[in-house]
Amino acid sequence: MSNILTILVFFPALAGLLGFVIDKNSARVYGVAIATVEFILSLFLWMTFDASNPTFQFIEHFPIVKDFGISYYLGVDGISLFLVVMTTFMTLIGMISMSVKDEIKNMVITLLFLEMTMVGVFLALDAIMFYVFWELSLVPMLYIIGAWGGPLRVYASIKFFLYTFTGSLVMLVGMLIVAYSFSQATGGVWSFAITDWYALGFDMKYQIGLFLAFFIGFAIKVPMFPFHTWLPYAHGQAPTIGSVILAAVLLKMGTYGFVRFSLPMFPDASVLMILPIAIISIIMIIYTAMVAYAQEDMKQVIAYSSVSHMGIVMLGIFAMNSEGISGSVFQMLSHGIVSGALFMLVGVIYDRTHTKYMKDFGGLASIMPRYALVFGIMLMASVGLPLTIGFVGEFLVLIGFYKVSPILTILAGTSIILGAVYMLTLFKRSFFGPVTNEANKKLKDLNANELVSFIPLVAVVVWLGIYPKPVLSIIDNSVNYTLSIMEKKAMTPEAKNIIIVKNSKEAK
Amino acid sequence: MESLVYIALFAPLVSSLFAGLFAMTPKKQFVGVISSLLLFASFVASAILAYHISSTNEIIHVKLMDWIAAGNLNIPFGFLVDYVSVTMMVVVTLVSTVVHIYSNGYMDHDKSFNRFFSYLSAFVFSMLVLVMSDNFAGLFIGWEGVGVCSWLLIGFWYHKADVTRDVNPSISPSWAANEAFIMNRIADLGMLVGLFIIYWNVGSLQYDVVFKAIPNLTPIILTTAAIALFIGAMGKSAQFPLHTWLTDAMEGPTPVSALIHAATMVTAGVFLVIRANPIFSVTPEVSYFIAALGTFVAFFAASMALVNRDLKRIIAFSTLSQLGYMFAAAGLGAYWIALFHLAAHAFFKALLFLGAGNVMHGMHNELDIFKMGGLKKVMRGTYLYMGLASLALAGIFPLAGFYSKDAIIETAFNEGNLILFIILIVTAGMTAFYSFRQVFLTFHGDERYKELGIHPHEMYKYVLIAMSPLAILAVIAGWFKGWFNSFIIHLLPNYEMSEHTHHLALYITLIVSAFAFGGIILAYIKYNKGLVRSEKTENSLIYKLLINQYYIPILYEAVISKPYAELSKLAWKADTKIIDTFVDGIAKVLYVSGDKTRGMQSGNLSNYLNWMAAGAIVLLVVAILSLVAV
Amino acid sequence: MIGLNHYLILSGILFSIGLVGVLRRKNLLMLFFSTEIMLNAANVAFAAISNFYNDLSGQMFAFFIIAIAASEVAIGLGLLILVYKKENTLDLDDLASMKG
Repeated sequence: MSNILTILVFFPALAGLLGFVIDKNSARVYGVAIATVEFILSLFLWMTFDASNPTFQFIEHFPIVKDFGISYYLGVDGISLFLVVMTTFMTLIGMISMSVKDEIKNMVITLLFLEMTMVGVFLALDAIMFYVFWELSLVPMLYIIGAWGGPLRVYASIKFFLYTFTGSLVMLVGMLIVAYSFSQATGGVWSFAITDWYALGFDMKYQIGLFLAFFIGFAIKVPMFPFHTWLPYAHGQAPTIGSVILAAVLLKMGTYGFVRFSLPMFPDASVLMILPIAIISIIMIIYTAMVAYAQEDMKQVIAYSSVSHMGIVMLGIFAMNSEGISGSVFQMLSHGIVSGALFMLVGVIYDRTHTKYMKDFGGLASIMPRYALVFGIMLMASVGLPLTIGFVGEFLVLIGFYKVSPILTILAGTSIILGAVYMLTLFKRSFFGPVTNEANKKLKDLNANELVSFIPLVAVVVWLGIYPKPVLSIIDNSVNYTLSIMEKKAMTPEAKNIIIVKNSKEAK
Repeated sequence: MESLVYIALFAPLVSSLFAGLFAMTPKKQFVGVISSLLLFASFVASAILAYHISSTNEIIHVKLMDWIAAGNLNIPFGFLVDYVSVTMMVVVTLVSTVVHIYSNGYMDHDKSFNRFFSYLSAFVFSMLVLVMSDNFAGLFIGWEGVGVCSWLLIGFWYHKADVTRDVNPSISPSWAANEAFIMNRIADLGMLVGLFIIYWNVGSLQYDVVFKAIPNLTPIILTTAAIALFIGAMGKSAQFPLHTWLTDAMEGPTPVSALIHAATMVTAGVFLVIRANPIFSVTPEVSYFIAALGTFVAFFAASMALVNRDLKRIIAFSTLSQLGYMFAAAGLGAYWIALFHLAAHAFFKALLFLGAGNVMHGMHNELDIFKMGGLKKVMRGTYLYMGLASLALAGIFPLAGFYSKDAIIETAFNEGNLILFIILIVTAGMTAFYSFRQVFLTFHGDERYKELGIHPHEMYKYVLIAMSPLAILAVIAGWFKGWFNSFIIHLLPNYEMSEHTHHLALYITLIVSAFAFGGIILAYIKYNKGLVRSEKTENSLIYKLLINQYYIPILYEAVISKPYAELSKLAWKADTKIIDTFVDGIAKVLYVSGDKTRGMQSGNLSNYLNWMAAGAIVLLVVAILSLVAV
Repeated sequence: MIGLNHYLILSGILFSIGLVGVLRRKNLLMLFFSTEIMLNAANVAFAAISNFYNDLSGQMFAFFIIAIAASEVAIGLGLLILVYKKENTLDLDDLASMKG
């Protein structure tokens, strides 16, 4: 299995092509089967992954356009490994829980293509390849929202597409400039390999400009305040499966970009930008938590809570120490699983009642106890209860950023209060109190199919909450390696000072 | 011994999971029985551990596994059974066992019987994690865990609808549950910050490492850490200004109030201060603040209890007040006295609450003491228990409360702090008054319940028997003060009264007892014959202030909840009306500019040629100008 | 003496006439004539400058232009006839089928 990464990337797409000849009625089974195989492949990758090696593994590298240094370059390290595993896991779970009835064959094929692009983004080590997968991922999502979405689907899908596309074009310009500078520095040898770029130093002015170029691309994807307004529309209109994948994986591409590109390539600019980014993150955390509190629609609450949680992720990335960044990467996984699960849960009730408004519910806990239980567990994970997956990342991020700025950390820490406020309000309004809507009395609790999709999610939430070590230690290892690259490259004394590599510098 | 630690810790978890299996099925009696047995096993294990420690002085420290490790941070699941934690374990498991058995009777008609046991046992597990953990992060696990269980249990009857404050001051169980959770979270943020300060200055969250490193830390760091930790303690122990949730939490079933909101969870804050005493003992300003705040809360809560009509709320206020006493002792440096009062209080307050539960059960969930009276005839056993517990609470010799509360007041005197001393003595009198006001209004005098057509009945026999250990302890716990002192000072700093105080100790005791008796006698005169209501008192400003809890809940709603909701709505508006409009504006500019310039595309060739010529001329001009400029 | 400037002025005048024709006339045929005039203006300038510098490449260019103009006229007139057959008019204002 020396080509496991190639298989991981292209297997779903090839299987998706085959999907065109599959009978309509068996399309869903086919999709689940393919997603299962893909998930097992990713688990196999994890099993064979060398946990003690912090650098890229399973590397596949051959040139495509030699003169410009564009190559087919795949590799995986501790940071991307679990994002890949989470992608395949959430695709599988999404596929199982999917409730789409029309054109299910097209949906399955689209999802498989989407899976290829997502896995590709996380595994690509060549900037052009990364960019290609990055942009390609927009297309299936555009189709999912535009074809299966709600009444405003066209507006929402085009907004999503154009907004993120604009950002990534700026990022592309940044990439070209980096490649050009690389050729200048090496006397005409071009390379788009990220690993080559890591070795390249820029002077301050360049770093800031390039950082900003990449920032636009990533920030819109995350989405960071004030570029977040496409997200509520996309989530509001997307079908459940679209929201699940969007929240669980697509948003992580932005934050992953920061870890993979911005930090190790522009360490000085990153350090310089800590304060502005922290302030934006805190606005994200507090402001969107407030907006989430004001929502009437369950799905929008979770959509805005996503933005709020991504604020935590952003904050951790710019903590510049192992605690914060590892916590951030872990929080990406936890947010992927928890928000994906929450969107699925809203989908469950939407399928039954065709409404997402909290005022139409009330007292659901009496009618659907199992549903309430799963929702409750996910809610607690979302507000960061210890021994659930949500706590580990949030705690590490906050503890990491505390080293950078205590005051900002306290402000960001209000997320544990405000998160509880909107989530508990949602829970109270929908699940507690008397059953106000007669029609709801006949609602059925989770069926077998739904239980099959939720039980693994609950299991992961609890397992990684109690024993995050197998995941966290691998992430931490690679994060530390990234930090050591940054420390070596950093030129300004401020940057040298603030970047903390484990064991090399005592925690002061 | 290690296996005993695990039995003590995990038996409640097993109980919770076992009961959880049946959570969605109708009542099954064996669930309650098995849960109670598992809790009893946990208690036995704790008791054996306590005996082991007191006889061999061997501290048991076990490490289960790693939890979080990233960067230099390494947090294990480690459990420490030492003098302090074993005391807490015994208290917690004992009260829990009694409450579990009690719940078999109290919840017998509830359709969510099984679910109740699942939550209750989960709470005990979290509480044990809280007290047994060997590091601050583990403590925080338990800290949040008990918060969630408290949320679940306060909101246990979640199907009740929201009502206005005039009908029910807690609005609804689910409202009260959310209030409790959110208020605790505010404090938890403080606690987290405390953890961060400690981690970045010490590099570890293990108690032993942290306490060893204290001499190397600057006072400013220690002070901020102490403040942050104490903010956490204020939330859990419902100290002013985060106190309003505790009385609202009485919406939960009464066994919950007995276990969580009297005996165990609310004392977690005190436990934290005691556990982290090496930090607090080197930060005298913070400690003094703790003592002052504790004393204030003792008085403040007692004052509200004076006029309340709700059986459970009165006890809740008295819990608040007694927590104030504990903080006063801890703040003054008498950690072991605080812990002693914590334990004694757990026994008699749980007894008091369970007695109140009996009354509620017999009175068909009526809680208004103005509608009771004369119940001693039908509820002899309960009357005896509540009377005993109230005597203990009032601090009457030779019951438990006498020893522990007297010691706290002596400490205040010993510290030379006359203001605290006087307030605490006055509060002791108030405590006696409101306790016996409640006892007399409930059990003595005319039988007002008859007007309501209620036929009260006594609780089941086995429940009364199950309560007896608490009753016995409420009487005798104080007699072990000397033994407890010699046991606990292996870990906690001893607190010695000065020579001067020793001489005056008898007088202080007499004064305190005089106040206590005074309170009881006053209550007897006023309420023994029956309820006498006076319009004049009830319309007075002070009465109104007290019955409305100084208008603090209303104030919070007006100043915090409502503005936050408004601001959130505003933020949402800003999001759609400003930010999104701006984004759409950019798209609109592009669209409109395209639409407007579309007119150029007239399809008329000569028109195009004109444009082309104009463009060419412009280009020519630019070219010439640039040439000239060069 | 007629110098380079005179030729260039002539060329400029011719070009302007052609340009005005292109801009003002509405008949496609007239537009063709006007473009021819402009091309010839360029030819005059080429030839004059070529003579001035004693460099034959300018005149060579003029021949190229004449050749290209001829082929352009051939194709252009063909298209014109087709347009006329189809639309029955060569007036530009009536031929605005590409209006956006």
